[in-house]
Amino acid sequence: MAEVEQASETPTKDPLEPAPLIEGAQSAESLTASLLRPIERKPGLIFWALLLLTLGGTGLFLLAITVTLVRGIGAWGNNIPVAWAFGIIDFVWWIGFGHAGTLISAILVLFQQKWRASVNRFAEAMTLFAVMQAGLFPVLHLGRPWVAYWLVPYPNTMSIWPNFRSSLPWDLVAITTYFTVSLLFWYLGLLPDLAAARDRASTPRGQFWYGVFSLGWTGSARHWHHWRAGYLLLAGLATPLVLSVHTIVSFDFAIAQVPGWHSTIFPPYFVAGAIFSGLALVLTLLLPVRGSLGLNHVITDKHVDILCKLLLATGMMVSYGYLQEHFFAWYSGDEYEMASYADKRTGTWAWLFWFQMFSNVLLPHVFWFKKLRTNLVVVWFAALAVDAGMWVERFSIIVPSLAHDFLPSSWEGYTPTWVDLSLLAGSMSFFGLLFLLFLKFIPAVSITEVKELHHELKEALAAKEERERTESPLREKEA
Amino acid sequence: MRYWVVGEFGSGAEAKKALGRLRELGHAKEKLDAFTPYPVEGLDEVLGLKPSPIRGFAFMAGLSGAALGYAVQWWTNAVDWPLNVGNRPLNAGPAFVPITFETMVLFAALTIFFGLMWLFRFPRPHHPLFELETFRTASTGGFWVSITTERREETEALLGALRELKARNTSVVEEAS
Repeated sequence: MAEVEQASETPTKDPLEPAPLIEGAQSAESLTASLLRPIERKPGLIFWALLLLTLGGTGLFLLAITVTLVRGIGAWGNNIPVAWAFGIIDFVWWIGFGHAGTLISAILVLFQQKWRASVNRFAEAMTLFAVMQAGLFPVLHLGRPWVAYWLVPYPNTMSIWPNFRSSLPWDLVAITTYFTVSLLFWYLGLLPDLAAARDRASTPRGQFWYGVFSLGWTGSARHWHHWRAGYLLLAGLATPLVLSVHTIVSFDFAIAQVPGWHSTIFPPYFVAGAIFSGLALVLTLLLPVRGSLGLNHVITDKHVDILCKLLLATGMMVSYGYLQEHFFAWYSGDEYEMASYADKRTGTWAWLFWFQMFSNVLLPHVFWFKKLRTNLVVVWFAALAVDAGMWVERFSIIVPSLAHDFLPSSWEGYTPTWVDLSLLAGSMSFFGLLFLLFLKFIPAVSITEVKELHHELKEALAAKEERERTESPLREKEA
Repeated sequence: MRYWVVGEFGSGAEAKKALGRLRELGHAKEKLDAFTPYPVEGLDEVLGLKPSPIRGFAFMAGLSGAALGYAVQWWTNAVDWPLNVGNRPLNAGPAFVPITFETMVLFAALTIFFGLMWLFRFPRPHHPLFELETFRTASTGGFWVSITTERREETEALLGALRELKARNTSVVEEAS
């Protein structure tokens, strides 16, 4: 075994950065070992309990899907005029969660934010699994999911083509593109880590599977050279892509004439809401996971602190969106618009609206205070409330608007059925199941990037000390 | 038959210095390579690597994706099956923008990924250096430098050169062809 670089304390000595990004005495080898430990060790009791729970929930999901397929959309609470309800609420909710993953992994690459190294893999996995849930809902909502391929332009015996002036084909292309690009970006970043897992694997089975999936990665300088160019390009492509996806999702509403939907603020407001909810989900998942997987040394309190600040910033953007919606409903002088928003504030679902105001507008302001940002219990509950608040937001966009449109004679109430609720709970379980398997089989933190960061921090510290050594005699001389 | 002469160094900077020295000694850059756990700044220059062609591939693929996306929408909705919806224009430019943009990104991303696979010659689950037990550190914390040669008699001299540069764990691996 080669003599490796000595483990050394990496915390920054910069007074402007009091909290370190990597804690404790670390070396490249120790970081690799500690980050691979969660997949190398035997799973504990909690893992099996959670696996059983999420498997059970996924069973419920399958049951609800089967009922939907056999009985049709009539099994849902949807009616006329509330033709869109849980199916679309859940779709927008899930796809929104994905956006923080792409924000963290792509936009922060372009801005060279080093702290992303510890959380990007985690957030990207969340993106993939959330988009998988999201994709299921519009397909089920079609009523006849087995002919979903009619949305794709292919030469067919019926000689008909999809109407591309409708937002449904836009959604299809946006979601499949988003999923494909996220998957490729994630897998490309994963290759070097899979190679590390292969090289450290002690069982033949581990060596074989990590060997297959790392595709033969050697870490050759020639490969790194192309890899870096490709990774940066994918980040550059993913950045406008993530903005376009939720913009297109918002078009589902904004291009309609329904009061409460037909609004130009929708695209940016949906994007901000998506990132807001995604950051909340990152925090909801990160806080319990980092301790139990022993990742506290790379996902430090500083990361939680930064994520809280981002949550506060995006929360204020979302609040601005709410303000705009209600202001323009009033300023337009359009009575249908005004009635629709008045109904949101005071109608049947007003309690949901006010919960949304509390969780999405008021609650994020706790993060102005450092004491509360570093209190993990407060952070976790606030993030959980935002997750729920963002679901409620989509509910209050969709259901009250449809239930009370132009003609009072066509107004109708809405109640979800057990199938609706099972689909929601079931998709959460399925997401949990995928996430659990991810944590078991794939390094949850990008080992390569953390090692690179560790190296850079050490270099920066050495350069700083060197500067201080050479500068202080000069200063003394001047004095 | 090809021989890989390899040695391990303690850091990226040491590996970079060793490679620079080997190039000064007159070794062709095509014969040299380094294997590191993370990308080391400056190795590209020492090895004299040209900018990656992947950028050009991505640009061309993006353009063709956008063109194809728009063409399909225009041909199907305006030419092959003109569908009059409320007398809206058949060639509806603004409505075709979302899909045109998405196909551009999709084509570029797929090309980047599969272009990289082609440049790497992946999947290649086996590499001659994987025979070497110590080489496993290349993905965890070791920095390796390699020189390849076709002539067996050269390997001793190359090993000596690497040891002179303070490489540890020096070895020769034979690649059967």
